Amino acid sequence: MASMASILRSNSPFWRRLGFLGLGAAMLAGLGCGGSGRQRLVLYSPHGPELLEVVEKRYEELHPELDVIWLDMGSQDVFDRLLSEKANPQADVWFGGPDTILAQGAAQGLLAPFRPSWAEAVAPESQHPENLYFGLYRTAPVLAWNSKLVAPADAPADWEDLLAPRFQGKVLLRDPLASGTLRTLFGSILARSVAETGSPERGFGWLARLDTQTREYVLNPALMMEKLARGEGLVTVWELTDMLWQKQRGRPLEFGFPRSGTPVIDDSIGLVARAPHAELAKAFIEWIGSPEAQRLAATASFRLPARQDLPAAELPTWAQKVLGDLVPAPVDGQLLTRESAGWMRRWDQEIRGKGGSWAAKP
Amino acid sequence: MRRLAPIALGLVLLWLVGYPLLVTFGAALAGGGGPDAPLGRFARAPAEWLALWRSFWISVASVAGAALLGIPLGFLFERRDFPGKALLGALVALPVALPPLVGVIAFLFLFGESGFLSRAVMALLGRSEPPWRLAGPGAILLVHAYSMYVYFYLFTRAGLARRDGALEEAAATLGASPRKVLWRITLPMLSPAFAGAALLCFMTSLGSFSAPYLFGGSWRVMTTQIVASKLNGDLGLAQVETVALAAVAVVSLLGLRRLEPRRRLTGTVRGLAPRPRPLASSWARWGACAAATVLTLILLSPHLTLVLISLVPFGTWTLEPFPPVLATSNYTGLLSSAESWRPIASSLWMAAAATLVALVLGFLAARRAARGGAGGRFFEGLLALPWALPGTVFALALASTFSVHAPWLGRIVLVGTPWILPLAYVVRALPLTGRSALAGLAQLDSSLDEAASTLGAGPWRRFARITLPLLRPSLVAGAGLAFMTALGDYVTSIVLYTFDNRPISMAIDGILRRNDLGLAAVYGVFLMLASSAAFLAWGRERQAG
Repeated sequence: MASMASILRSNSPFWRRLGFLGLGAAMLAGLGCGGSGRQRLVLYSPHGPELLEVVEKRYEELHPELDVIWLDMGSQDVFDRLLSEKANPQADVWFGGPDTILAQGAAQGLLAPFRPSWAEAVAPESQHPENLYFGLYRTAPVLAWNSKLVAPADAPADWEDLLAPRFQGKVLLRDPLASGTLRTLFGSILARSVAETGSPERGFGWLARLDTQTREYVLNPALMMEKLARGEGLVTVWELTDMLWQKQRGRPLEFGFPRSGTPVIDDSIGLVARAPHAELAKAFIEWIGSPEAQRLAATASFRLPARQDLPAAELPTWAQKVLGDLVPAPVDGQLLTRESAGWMRRWDQEIRGKGGSWAAKP
Repeated sequence: MRRLAPIALGLVLLWLVGYPLLVTFGAALAGGGGPDAPLGRFARAPAEWLALWRSFWISVASVAGAALLGIPLGFLFERRDFPGKALLGALVALPVALPPLVGVIAFLFLFGESGFLSRAVMALLGRSEPPWRLAGPGAILLVHAYSMYVYFYLFTRAGLARRDGALEEAAATLGASPRKVLWRITLPMLSPAFAGAALLCFMTSLGSFSAPYLFGGSWRVMTTQIVASKLNGDLGLAQVETVALAAVAVVSLLGLRRLEPRRRLTGTVRGLAPRPRPLASSWARWGACAAATVLTLILLSPHLTLVLISLVPFGTWTLEPFPPVLATSNYTGLLSSAESWRPIASSLWMAAAATLVALVLGFLAARRAARGGAGGRFFEGLLALPWALPGTVFALALASTFSVHAPWLGRIVLVGTPWILPLAYVVRALPLTGRSALAGLAQLDSSLDEAASTLGAGPWRRFARITLPLLRPSLVAGAGLAFMTALGDYVTSIVLYTFDNRPISMAIDGILRRNDLGLAAVYGVFLMLASSAAFLAWGRERQAG
């Protein structure tokens, strides 16, 4: 022990620094982990703080005994986390994400059945047959362009315009594998081809032509928006809610609904299987679909209600305008669920970056 | 007691490092080997093998690029003395402090097709189309070499600081030219440091995600291929791909070990490094200072770009070559809310705690590894393994390993507690602290220790007075790298963070998903400042020691 003392006595700056490091770590840990003592309700959500903060504040006003906690992450990350925590779930509510990802979660047994009373008010195709998840908000792919570089007369008015010569090499797209919005668009184009010709080939041909127009498939959404704003490309396909948000914050972008219609995406919600606070979670899901909460989300952060029984006059002006402009394209949801993964794999292997040679095929 | 200690250490490391690997391997092989099973589909797809090959060669090329940049820099800053050396020498190490994602985005603002350089060239040549595109293997290589040369730089410096100057002097006295001394004495003495740095670079680029993700596009390496499979809902295939990547890592690890020199070149006389040579004329001194400053500015240009981005209010910088509006609104917006400080506090305590634990564990394991033999190789392998799995996969494996309560199997529930993330940081930091300790130990002169022992010093005293002071440059270099890596970690955090310990990288991720680059850059600047502070403290520590 005398030798231990000699280390301490050695008075070396290295040991002292190490000691300070440890002390500092302990102090910060104490600072970081202060609990509130209230009962926790845990949401995993891709919605972002602009909605989650509003929801948290209002729900805690209604239930002062609760501490609403949200972990904000990408919709694919929500799935990853829930899967890795399957043996010991930490979350109560899977709050948001395109229904395609919640469908993956349902297939992995990550969701528990719960049918809120508002389920009747959403469209039948937005209701899961086994009550695992329900559409809560609606969104859709829209055409978006750089308003500094594209004159109003040149703006695209329909999907077909993306293939126009003026946008040759000027289309920027998010990587369709990583984007639920583009997956839905591609799927709807292929599904329409199946419905009209019996096979997806015509649809793949169209996507091959789109590939030849495309400058780049950008994986990261923030980067994609920067590139569009900085003029690396002129047009893109983007998600409605985010577009409204970007425009309101002053980005020089403009968007429009395609004339021929756009596939509507269900942003869904579900109860996590074996949730630690299942009863609290059910009460929250019940509330978040109420007319009050739907209007709150519409007013605070551009969420278009999935409920169809809300009078349009009670919605904010932007929502009334969107409901007037949006032409929903009919999509065979079952076909899409069945074929989507295979179609996207084929697109990835045969068309991505090779659209020219694909389109030249007889 | 003396026999039990290494066994206990081995078990702890196996538990932390080996278990998650086993879980992943088991899950991948559970699918069986039929033609429609993921394993069969993987084996038959040329695209998969291509991605694996690309991962391998881009890693080899990254090591070469990083060595070409890092080693000369290490020599410049360790062997020459000029005004401002301490500060510039610490600044040169900062590429490692460039935060993930935002940092790479800063690269794009510099060298991308709408970046400064490209727009300047367009203006000069009067062209309307950008002269190049920052995409594909070239861009990935550029980012890798840039962000990884620091390993070579730091290890070279630590190695030089520890080298025995007597050998060089002896060779010079015997008439060897400076070049010959360099090739026959100095570089061979540094080979353990080079081997350590090469290994770290190789493993980092094999598991690297940000650069291939942002610049690769359809040019896929294995890490992006795994993500593509997962995004397409093919979890089985993703698992097989992970195992294939891990297998490449393990095989390369074994191969790299074979390349390591058999001979141990340690000084046997004094074990003291010569002091850096001050340059003779004042012209040379100030010239070296100016050259080093310019070099540092070039190397720090992504950081400066990041600072610039953090001053651009949302949506105002689009087509202009330079931001039209600069304001501090991003900073004031962030500083005004107390919530914004929590990620900073969380990141700091977790990184500090993880560094401490990894330093101790890494040192103990390295000491055992340095003794050689089968046991030594076992420990050395364990120290490198945490990087055999890409970060995300490792995190997922850790999460599923520690989400079951089965104490007799060594599995306890840690998921959902704030402890699992620092634990992951510890394991991810082990190769850094362990490797640098190992490089230091390999160069250690044992005669000093023996002399002290003969003079009657006990093991603790010898450790405190002999081993530790000699190893300090290596340990500090390893700790500095570990701290920075943990502070900026993105890939493991995204899987393992909880509400109570949300780190800075997750705050950045959240803001980026709202496309608010300026605000994300503010957090990026914080990360940079914290890492730089750690490194400047390191500079002072070296002077004090």
